Amino acid sequence: MAVSLAESLHIGVADIATRKVRSLVTVLGIVLGVMCIMVVLAILAGMNESTLQWMQERGGLSKVEISYNWQYDFRQGGEAKFDLDDLRKLQSMIPEVKAFNPNISVWDARTRYRDQYYNSQCIGVFPDMQIVENWYPDKGRFINEVDIRENNNVIVLGSAVAEHFFGARDPLGQSIMLNNQMMKVVGVMSRKYFKSNGGEMWGGENALEYMNHRNFIPLSTMINKISPGSKVDQVEIIAASPEAAITLKAKLEPIVRQLMDGKRVFRVESAQEQMQQMKQSSMIFSAIFIMIAAISLLVGGIVIMNIMLASIKERTREIGVRLAIGARRVDIFVQFMVQTVLITALGGVFGIALGYAILDVVGDYLQMPMVARFDMIFTALAVSVGIGLIFGIAPAVKAGNLDPVTALREE
Amino acid sequence: MEIIKTTALVKDYNLGNVKVRALDGIDLTIDAGEFVAIMGPSGSGKSTLMHIIGCLDRPSSGDYYLDGDLVSSLPKSALAGIRNRKIGFVFQSFNLLPHLSILKNVELPLMYAGIAPGTRRKKAEEILASVGLSDRLKHKPNELSGGQRQRVAIARAIVNSPSILLADEPTGNLDSQAGGDILSIFHQLHAAGNTVIMVTHDPAVAARANRTVMIRDGLIDYGSIAG
Repeated sequence: MAVSLAESLHIGVADIATRKVRSLVTVLGIVLGVMCIMVVLAILAGMNESTLQWMQERGGLSKVEISYNWQYDFRQGGEAKFDLDDLRKLQSMIPEVKAFNPNISVWDARTRYRDQYYNSQCIGVFPDMQIVENWYPDKGRFINEVDIRENNNVIVLGSAVAEHFFGARDPLGQSIMLNNQMMKVVGVMSRKYFKSNGGEMWGGENALEYMNHRNFIPLSTMINKISPGSKVDQVEIIAASPEAAITLKAKLEPIVRQLMDGKRVFRVESAQEQMQQMKQSSMIFSAIFIMIAAISLLVGGIVIMNIMLASIKERTREIGVRLAIGARRVDIFVQFMVQTVLITALGGVFGIALGYAILDVVGDYLQMPMVARFDMIFTALAVSVGIGLIFGIAPAVKAGNLDPVTALREE
Repeated sequence: MEIIKTTALVKDYNLGNVKVRALDGIDLTIDAGEFVAIMGPSGSGKSTLMHIIGCLDRPSSGDYYLDGDLVSSLPKSALAGIRNRKIGFVFQSFNLLPHLSILKNVELPLMYAGIAPGTRRKKAEEILASVGLSDRLKHKPNELSGGQRQRVAIARAIVNSPSILLADEPTGNLDSQAGGDILSIFHQLHAAGNTVIMVTHDPAVAARANRTVMIRDGLIDYGSIAG
């Protein structure tokens, strides 16, 4: 009859309980390794999640953006500007897209209501802005096709601007001045909010607060009345799907370059691609940390193996006695195998607990979202048990192969 | 009835390049219920003989029948079961496991025999009561006197009702008072029908056995048989 696994577990627990300090020291490497895995996995999951949320808040993964190319050397000629002809041509070449929003920003536009002034960003847009940003007015309406066609003097206020001028009063139908043009307020945008990751450094609690200071007017009104002669330097496009966005990006690059006389004055970026790149770089990051964790686990495993070997040398006589009273080799093997695995599993549990504690502290400190999921705990535990199984074999084989007579003679 | 029978038992050891013959052809028969003392000077081979009789070791040649079974031909893996069921060891240095209570120590052979925890606990308690240690069940071996420890060792040896009881200098580490108590226990066990084989240096101890077997240079010295 073999000694049952429950019996071996019982022996193992008792053995560890009588050698508490040694067991704890033995397992330090495993604790640190498992903790490292936990923390890295949680940080990565948190990063991925908040990046995804951020992207979705900014127009989703189907977004493709044509914008000023900072890397282009403008001394070589060319100007990053589309006129209305360019835009019409561009739009006609990509009929498959869901939304097309060229825009011009005036960064420091002066608005006045009665005797109050307020300087903020004013953007000339197409109605598709709403689809692109997934952002709609709270009150009234947005810019429409008629406004574009007829160069209407209408304005849609950002929630912060409306608050500044009108407080609790209704802004709809009121007139405000924008660069000496009388503009009629037709709508107020809903408030944008995204919980900030970076604390004060990134503009306080709401990472999107700057958007609430934007006012919108028709693109045609901007070009023809407010800022005459200005041209479009940014186009936001929404493709049918994130996958289509990548194709669209590839299709747009040569078209845009051709429109700009072959000069790379614009860059074309797809959110999906950025997301993939970000995931890729976070994969590299995680690979490095997992490697560090793996090395620390390997070292931890070797330490455990050596301590177990030493422990078996010390307990040779005990093994001899057990053999003399009828323990089989397999009983001895299982006894030490179970003990090693118990120690490493214990280390894994400590590592998980420590990892959680650190996540809490680090998460609070960095104000970074960290996601600890059940599968991470499972992974960490499986890894520590695996280490025990691998590095427990050599000591257990050595113990099981002891000759009873020699073992009994050992002092 | 013969419980032990050896014929031409030989044991060689390889010490580096030198071959040492520890047993040189032992023919020994012990009947069930005997109390046999095995004597001999150091290096005579009596310990080797004990190890083979106790199935801790195997002879280089010759046959060993235990309870009618030819155990000298069994593989090492089968010997563990024989030791567990048929042999009870009592050592000079007690060899109790220091981290276990005496109850757990006595339970060990039953655990390796695959007996359920409840049953073996009850049995171990009974056996410990029979050697007068009921009030010490939870104590660790180092909390007991030498005589008490040896009584625990005896309890552990007999708990699985073995065919033979093998004692290797069981009184060697005890004062004469405690040694006398231990010998009385062996005599009680013998009187109850157990087969006892005891290795000893002490002629006074040997004198109380039914029969003394003298080992010299790996052989039985028939000239010196006493009793």
